[in-house]
Amino acid sequence: MKINQKECVAMLLAGGQGTRLGVLTNDVAKPAVPFGAKYRIIDFTLSNCVNSGIDTIGVLTQYRPFELHQYIGNGQPWDLDRLSGGIYVLPPFMRAKSGEWYKGTANAIYQNIDFIDRYDPEYVLILSGDHIYKMDYSKMLKFHKGNNADCTIAVLEVPIEEAPRFGIMNTKDDGAIYEFEEKPKKPKSTKASMGIYIFNWQKLKQYLIEDESEKSSQNDFGKNIIPAMLKNGERMFAYPFEGYWKDVGTISSLWEAHMDILSATAGLNLNDRNWRIYARNIAEPPHFVGFNATVKNSIISEGCVVDGTVENSVIFHGSVVGKGAKIYDSIIMPSAEIAEGAEVRHAIIGWDAVIEKGAKVGETLAAPVSGEWEIAVVAPGYTVKEGEVIAANQMIGGN
Amino acid sequence: MSNRAMSVIFASDNDSQLNDLSIHRTTASMPFGGRYRLIDFTLSNLVAAGITKVGIVTKNNYNSLMDHIRMGRDWDLNRKNGGITVFPPFVLNTLHEVYKGKIDALYSLRSFLISSKEPYVLLTPANIVTSLDFNELENFHFETGADISMLTYKTDELNPKKNIIETDSAGRVIDSRFAVTSESGGPEELINLGIYFIKKDLLITLVDNAYARGFIDFEKDIIQKSLGEFKIMSYEIKDYVAVIDRIPAYFKHSMELLDADIRYDLFYKKGSILTKIKDSVPTRYLNNAGLKNSLVADGCVIDGTVENSILFRGVTVEAGAVVKNSIVMEKGLIMRGAYIDYTITDKNVVIREGRKLAGYETYPMVIAKDKTV
Repeated sequence: MKINQKECVAMLLAGGQGTRLGVLTNDVAKPAVPFGAKYRIIDFTLSNCVNSGIDTIGVLTQYRPFELHQYIGNGQPWDLDRLSGGIYVLPPFMRAKSGEWYKGTANAIYQNIDFIDRYDPEYVLILSGDHIYKMDYSKMLKFHKGNNADCTIAVLEVPIEEAPRFGIMNTKDDGAIYEFEEKPKKPKSTKASMGIYIFNWQKLKQYLIEDESEKSSQNDFGKNIIPAMLKNGERMFAYPFEGYWKDVGTISSLWEAHMDILSATAGLNLNDRNWRIYARNIAEPPHFVGFNATVKNSIISEGCVVDGTVENSVIFHGSVVGKGAKIYDSIIMPSAEIAEGAEVRHAIIGWDAVIEKGAKVGETLAAPVSGEWEIAVVAPGYTVKEGEVIAANQMIGGN
Repeated sequence: MSNRAMSVIFASDNDSQLNDLSIHRTTASMPFGGRYRLIDFTLSNLVAAGITKVGIVTKNNYNSLMDHIRMGRDWDLNRKNGGITVFPPFVLNTLHEVYKGKIDALYSLRSFLISSKEPYVLLTPANIVTSLDFNELENFHFETGADISMLTYKTDELNPKKNIIETDSAGRVIDSRFAVTSESGGPEELINLGIYFIKKDLLITLVDNAYARGFIDFEKDIIQKSLGEFKIMSYEIKDYVAVIDRIPAYFKHSMELLDADIRYDLFYKKGSILTKIKDSVPTRYLNNAGLKNSLVADGCVIDGTVENSILFRGVTVEAGAVVKNSIVMEKGLIMRGAYIDYTITDKNVVIREGRKLAGYETYPMVIAKDKTV
């Protein structure tokens, strides 16, 4: 039974565990981790879809999905509660004879072939739920159609010394990809894959079915599908993206992305009227700044009460910064409390965590040297007791 | 109270008293507390009590209210059963003119009232800032066997719009009169908030009888004249309550939000106050920002000095600008070197470089919407 036909359906891979975020993803999937004082990581990708005119999105979840499912709800905050299309959460499910977890990124799409077929799309857009960027996918789709391509992969120019950390696309002059190298030691190009793919659906479907029958396959786009398509000489193109893009899969990249919001030059502008980032809103009053507060180069969201010093930091909604508390270069996630006289430096404080009176987080023996410190992390809900000291680089709480 | 009561909100009851701030809008859509409109408090209280059928009566300038309410989704009032209906003036009327008081307004809503299945009605103005549980009022109504239950509060701020109530020891209303002059600081009086809980059939009968005789004033022509015949009970609110009926009251009660206890009473104690979602970004503080004792909504960019003030969504305070004891509404721009003290700037006001403005606590300066100083 077909529903209304859609030109392009987006499939958002949101099932990864995100182990490199440590205690922050103990209880929630990576795309549901708070970002930017009032958002979640997934809001950026969802908002990109909506702003690009894509209104049919399947979100593939697997690891710790409850928070994410609840957050997405009926999709209304992103204007995705549609009569035709909209947003669908797609966890793994049982079939008549079998049922299994998503074995890899390609297998996750394979298991949802029926879902995609219901919309009979010409194209499928494959996205990750853990990147921070603003991108107009409709331009990429236009590029894909203009090249009469089978697959288009979005790429970002990276410095040559960083290229060995990425999947690198080697292309001809016209942008056609002739080779893909995963984390090459000697990169031939600086075009890094952003993990954003557009496929002709019928073509992709054929490759997914073939890949599934290959027992040794890891069922992964980067490792299996893309190499197989290249080998068969399919028309594959690299779409050059310019602008801010960051994979926030590690503690340090998550921290850096927040500092990029505070930077005037990093290129991550949240306040763009033509490209709004939507989020599920919480009903909290404006934030209150008290008599003893000093706030410099920081962002603060609603519901906070701030009566201490906040510099170069991002304070999420509902947090409390007590009298005389000091926060430098840190991220304070929703509803955390930094009590009177506590000090937090170069740290990420998880949601609902409490830093009791006089406790110190991110403490170094000497004054921190720029570029040499490491980030301290306090797990969501964890309490750092009165007077306790958590060293730089320490991750505390959780299992 | 779920589904036993519906509500009628009078959105325009006090417009004439708020001067420049109500030129462009109804009292109900008056901005308050950095991100709210006055009606948000009433709507949030209704929704929290399970009252989901709401009619809003407007008189004039209701565009801003329609824009704020939309389909009522932000209050969870976009329902198949019940939901929100805004009644602009001039609809279903045998009146031939814009209604003058609550009696003819209610009369024009006669078919809306009759066709609703809820047997009780909660009448309320939209200019009351409080967080209260309407279920308590309903329980009180049935426990006391009242015909009409009226919410009251005590205050020493009197003006000719204040309806002073006398009760007997059981709380039954025995006298109702209006203050003759404006004064404050004297003894506290019990004041009718204009929030009534009443059986729908009784309300329709009272309105029909009063309308047929050409009466327009609900308090003078219905309440006052019914004191003997009907049991009208006063239920006094002891929690925080603010009635926004004048500019100085608007200013005073806005500033009370800087008090942590009052914020707790209003925003946390009994439930959240809901408002229209605007998807603003978080507020950005730059290197020259200096803030003391202020309430700041999302979407601001602050590089100047702000003290004892309330900034609404999307306000910009440039470096070297000083905002003291003031209320800056949505998208206000206070430019480099400007200074404002005891000033209320309405939406989209621009205070240009170096301008200095000052009012006084009891008579704050008001800059009307969209003006540039």
